[in-house]
Amino acid sequence: MTEKDYSSAEDQKLVRVAQKGDMAAFEELVARHRDKIYARALSMMRNEQEAIDLSQEAWVKGWQRLKQFQGEASFGTWMTRIVINLCLDQLRKQKRQRTESIEAMTEESGGVERHMPVLTVNPTAGLERQELRQRIDRALSQLSYEHRTVLVLHEFEEMEYKQIAKAMECSIGTVMSRLFYARRKLAALLADLKKSD
Amino acid sequence: MDYDAQLKLQSYLDGELPESEAREIANLLAQDREAVALFAELRNTRQALVGSEVGVALPESREFFWSKIEREIYRLEKSEPAPRPSSVFAAWRRFLMPAGGVAALAIAAFIGLFGGSQGPTHEMAVADPGAFTYHDFSAGTTLVWLTYPAENEFADNFE
Repeated sequence: MTEKDYSSAEDQKLVRVAQKGDMAAFEELVARHRDKIYARALSMMRNEQEAIDLSQEAWVKGWQRLKQFQGEASFGTWMTRIVINLCLDQLRKQKRQRTESIEAMTEESGGVERHMPVLTVNPTAGLERQELRQRIDRALSQLSYEHRTVLVLHEFEEMEYKQIAKAMECSIGTVMSRLFYARRKLAALLADLKKSD
Repeated sequence: MDYDAQLKLQSYLDGELPESEAREIANLLAQDREAVALFAELRNTRQALVGSEVGVALPESREFFWSKIEREIYRLEKSEPAPRPSSVFAAWRRFLMPAGGVAALAIAAFIGLFGGSQGPTHEMAVADPGAFTYHDFSAGTTLVWLTYPAENEFADNFE
């Protein structure tokens, strides 16, 4: 395969060539999937520079482990798993370095989400996509990393409870409870943003 | 509605509830207005998130981003330690280990043949193909001679 063919080649073919050491093929794979990998890192980290750095690190790891890629999942999914693991490691490190927020402590001990009033009006109804995205971004930023991560993995990555539990090293019950809290909190935050219009 | 029922409602929404329990929650939704309202809130939140990531793009050019990755790959490949050439000592050790084993066997055989008057005080055992053991009960000593595999394991641990 010549370099000219790379832009039209399928991922599988590019992976096979890159596994033999062809960096140009790998560069094409990076170009194709870099936005998705960055978006995943950004949704988890909520920090542009960290998301850039971690997605770069994920690509370097992807190259180093490329020979282990057997094609069970798509290349994009495989790379996404790498960046998710890097983000989780980074978030755990950050958590160890700072004191937990009062909100997170309340959630662990009191289960505040059980007593939140149920919203009868959809706070996102009628919003333009751009506006909706901005509001969701702001609301997600206010969640603790555990709640944000469980939402991201479930809603964006469409992972099952047991897969999330494995990735986050916790029980399925914890995943269910975090997801429930995250959704309820997110709904309340979106409603607050709607009120402040 | 208790917390357990709330979580089951969520699992029902996510399609993670076993069929028997799903029927139970479907019945709850048919009767309980509070459950219906909570279900609608959870569903709306889920729907709001779908597609909210569309259009997120890495704020760096293709060339610049790739140049950083490429540089890092080369840097890491350079910093990986090259395989060490085997030293003269290691070569000697490789030669001496099996030779030593053979010597231990020869000593044991010699004692067994010519030291019969001492009875069962000497014993030689080859319990493992990679290890030779020699017991001298009269002197209260045990000699274990390890050959290749053990030597390599030891070396690997300290590299």
